[in-house]
Amino acid sequence: MKLGKKLTGTLAIPVITLLAVWLICSSKGVALFETQLNILTFVRAIANVSLVTFALAINLNSGRFDFSVGSVALLSSVISAKIVLALNLGPVAMLLLSIVFGAIFGLISGAVYVSVKLPPIIVSLAIALFYEGLAFALTGGHGVSFANSANLLSFSTIPNLLIIIVIAVLFMVVVFDHTRFGYEYKALQSGQKVAVNTGIKEIPNALICYTIAGAFMGAQGFISATTNGTIQMSLNFGSISPMFMAFLPMFIGGFIGRFSNDKMGYLLGAVTSALISLLYVRLNVSSSVQQIVSALLLVCFLIYLNNEGVIRGLFVRKERAV
Amino acid sequence: MKTLKRLTALLLVVVMVFSLAACGSKESGGNDSAQTSGPDDSQNVKIGVLVSDVTSAEALAFRAYYEEYIQEQYNVTFMYSDELADAAAEASAIDNFIANNCKAIISFASADRPAQIEQCEQNGVYYAVATGTLTEEQYEQYKGYEHYVGAIGPDLYTEYMAGYNMAKYYLDQGYTKFGMFGGATPYYTEMHIYRAAGMLVAMCEAGNGTYMGANDMGSMIGAIYGAGCQLEPAVIGDVELVGYVAGYDFDDAWFGKLAAVANDPSVEVLLAVGSGQTAFAGFKQANQKLGDIDCYTADSVALMESGTLDYLAGKFSASIGPVFIAVLSAVQGHPIRTEEGNAFAISQGYWVATSAEQAKEYFEVDSSKTEPAYTRAMLDTLYGASYSDLEAFVQKYSFEEIKELAK
Amino acid sequence: MGNDTLIRKENRKAALFRLAPVMGLVFLFAVFLILAIIKDINIPYSFKNIINQSVVVVVAATGAVFIYTLGSFDISLGASLCVSALIGAMAYNVTGSVLVMLLVCVGVAVGISLVSSVLASVFNLPVFVTTIAMLSLLSALVLVLIGANGTGDVIQVPAAAVRGINNVWFKLIVMVLYLAFCIFLFDFMKLGRKEKFQGGNPVCAKLTGLNGKKLAIAAFAIAGIGVGLGAFLTITYAPTLSRNTASSVGMDIIISIVFGGMPVSGGARSKIYSAAIGAVSMTLLNQIMLTLSLDSGVGQMVKAMIFILVVYISMSNHKGNILPR
Repeated sequence: MKLGKKLTGTLAIPVITLLAVWLICSSKGVALFETQLNILTFVRAIANVSLVTFALAINLNSGRFDFSVGSVALLSSVISAKIVLALNLGPVAMLLLSIVFGAIFGLISGAVYVSVKLPPIIVSLAIALFYEGLAFALTGGHGVSFANSANLLSFSTIPNLLIIIVIAVLFMVVVFDHTRFGYEYKALQSGQKVAVNTGIKEIPNALICYTIAGAFMGAQGFISATTNGTIQMSLNFGSISPMFMAFLPMFIGGFIGRFSNDKMGYLLGAVTSALISLLYVRLNVSSSVQQIVSALLLVCFLIYLNNEGVIRGLFVRKERAV
Repeated sequence: MKTLKRLTALLLVVVMVFSLAACGSKESGGNDSAQTSGPDDSQNVKIGVLVSDVTSAEALAFRAYYEEYIQEQYNVTFMYSDELADAAAEASAIDNFIANNCKAIISFASADRPAQIEQCEQNGVYYAVATGTLTEEQYEQYKGYEHYVGAIGPDLYTEYMAGYNMAKYYLDQGYTKFGMFGGATPYYTEMHIYRAAGMLVAMCEAGNGTYMGANDMGSMIGAIYGAGCQLEPAVIGDVELVGYVAGYDFDDAWFGKLAAVANDPSVEVLLAVGSGQTAFAGFKQANQKLGDIDCYTADSVALMESGTLDYLAGKFSASIGPVFIAVLSAVQGHPIRTEEGNAFAISQGYWVATSAEQAKEYFEVDSSKTEPAYTRAMLDTLYGASYSDLEAFVQKYSFEEIKELAK
Repeated sequence: MGNDTLIRKENRKAALFRLAPVMGLVFLFAVFLILAIIKDINIPYSFKNIINQSVVVVVAATGAVFIYTLGSFDISLGASLCVSALIGAMAYNVTGSVLVMLLVCVGVAVGISLVSSVLASVFNLPVFVTTIAMLSLLSALVLVLIGANGTGDVIQVPAAAVRGINNVWFKLIVMVLYLAFCIFLFDFMKLGRKEKFQGGNPVCAKLTGLNGKKLAIAAFAIAGIGVGLGAFLTITYAPTLSRNTASSVGMDIIISIVFGGMPVSGGARSKIYSAAIGAVSMTLLNQIMLTLSLDSGVGQMVKAMIFILVVYISMSNHKGNILPR
């Protein structure tokens, strides 16, 4: 594929979105990136969405649907926050602890899956309920608050968030594209039975996937908690909502992956989502309108993605007619 | 094996059908034998508690008061519902309490209070509303029901005044630029609508202007509803509502909007109809003021001490003590009724702290497991009391008045 | 041991595993009865509660079995139920007719389901993601409807209008009739067999001439009837509707279907009665948790463990050398 086509395919969606969002803001007399806060909001949204997208995609691409990602973020951030507040540690310690606990809870989730050998969606439902309940029990339902802690809240800056994003992307690219684990992962993804029959150990591969996904969600939980200094409890699947923000970036990532790297695609998908999110902030769009717009964008993009050939065919016929 | 499956299913159906046939209108609740002085601690009384939110600090504080103080002091057992999202969940929870032989139900859930009252009346279970009130129409309809005990809590005017007084506190100090968190206003939640209306009317009075053409309570409420409960920033005479966010989306856009309001350099004061600590505390600038209508917790006291929060109007957890004793009194044969023989409806307001010392003092009393604001000794004076005594007691709800009552 | 004996032993073992959800239900029922006797609970009243609390999920989830049999998934059923109930209530307030309310509830629910399925079929969209988008749209529509009604944060039907049908016998009749309808379609008509085939092996199904899109549309339409009936029953039980009405029904449907022994991948092992078994089991479990008065967090953890245990037992007979997906 020519470099030009690759670049076009890779950057088309985020660039078009940026243009559209900028035009809409301009028409309302509002600047998209008026202050540094707007850039921070944008970068934070990229960080949140990209981490959740990576976490979900790791398992979903292997046919493992995971409702428990939100509960892993919740539980790991609760435990790391409690430790940090008790020992008077700083935000880096909280981030590292959150990642470690996220990895542990992800591993437990994977271990349950490989032990009981039930469909992963079922296991994830049980894990989500369990982790939510555990977080609730650990905090007595009160959640955790550190809105007073300027130190912990100070982490959420543009450079720090960018560092997290870059490390996450590099990790994904290196581990999933340039290691034996990554090759085995892809083999299992595209032909599970054949891959297992050729000797690939599926169970360790799945466990590592869950662990990595958990680590990403631990990081996302940390970013979410240090945004406003509070961690609210959830019960009865209240924690599954973060999962839904990842679908559009994932599909965008899949599309971009044809032209370059799908991990870069997920990141650019997150950038696209973050631009839309910033538009909502700049125009103070109400919640119901946000939901409608987001749903329509997802459906329209999917329609395009699943009917690309037909849509292209229409234009080709028109060109021929002309 | 198929036959065995079918037989098992059939057996289950038969058992349930026979049980339904036997199911009459078995009444639970009702009056126990009369006692002439003080609550009767000889028999355990089971009381169901309906809660719409199990994770809020306020709900947890209320639960702690009932379970860690009242349940220790009296021979009562509280049975809590799960989180109740809608009227159907409330009806299910009441049915569960009735099945578990609860003699009374205290309700913190407001999806459909009339239905709750009807359900309890049909089943002979006493019912009371805590931290809330019925509307005037509802009160007129249900005040004569035998098993409707009454309601103690902030009425809508009290909610309006809570918002009004908070905004006025800052307006009187000369502040004119405000950011507001509207909470559940877009979801048509009356409590938050009235609080927001109070704040806006205070701004109209101070700024000599109008908001959406309204400048008093009635017109402001109408204007808010007329706008579909979607408020906007606006200039209100000499005062300005610079930024406004509402809802509980908890997504990136929501946090972004909150940050945008809090970081607007022109905003001097951030006001919240509720959950201000969640919404603004993490974003506000050092030179901004933050006022919230919430409850007293260790976290809110810490925020007051650090200067992050400087106005807190909160319900105190023991405020639900009088409604408990009224319910117990009714269950044990001494219902407290008005002179006309009706259920009571008594308004009760907030504790307002404007300094860290005040907040700390309030919290220490509020969270005490041995000497809360309303102790057993104080509540026992209401057992079988007259309506006027109950009303006089409840309406002395300020911290200083309660300290006097305790002496 | 002879081959015949071995085969009989394996068959018995397989049958036992198939019975696991029913045995789970019986076990939970027994635990509930024992607790009820110990705690002196009003047992007949509790049985009435169990029916009231499970009937909406039984009806909605039984219809959803048709979707799951195809190997699909619908996460928007709870929001669809809420929208159907709101519009049904608005229809009652305009016409004063309970029959109109019922027809509108069912009609709206079927309409929503058809929109999802037609979108997915016509544009070749993954069904699950389409339903996620529908979930967002329907949630926004709920707020719009409540706002448009102009009666504050609720839409109400007068309690007197539904008092006559707010009884256990009516709900049982509706549930049994709909269950019978679904069992007839699923177990005795070609539709059920085709759906199982489609869910088990879509490639073979296509090669034999089955139209997967038409089957999906039919499945969603039948599920829509169940959702509509569920909406109607919700109104009869609690005629005050808000934006949170049926908010937990979506996840309750998924849990019930799985808890009742339905394979998530659909196919030949799908069972139409799994939703009913699962819904009643979950209600019994909730009753047990309530009676034990466990802390909310601990109670949820216990529920999760029981859930995974029951599902593990009911599905543990079907294992290969690869992990399930």
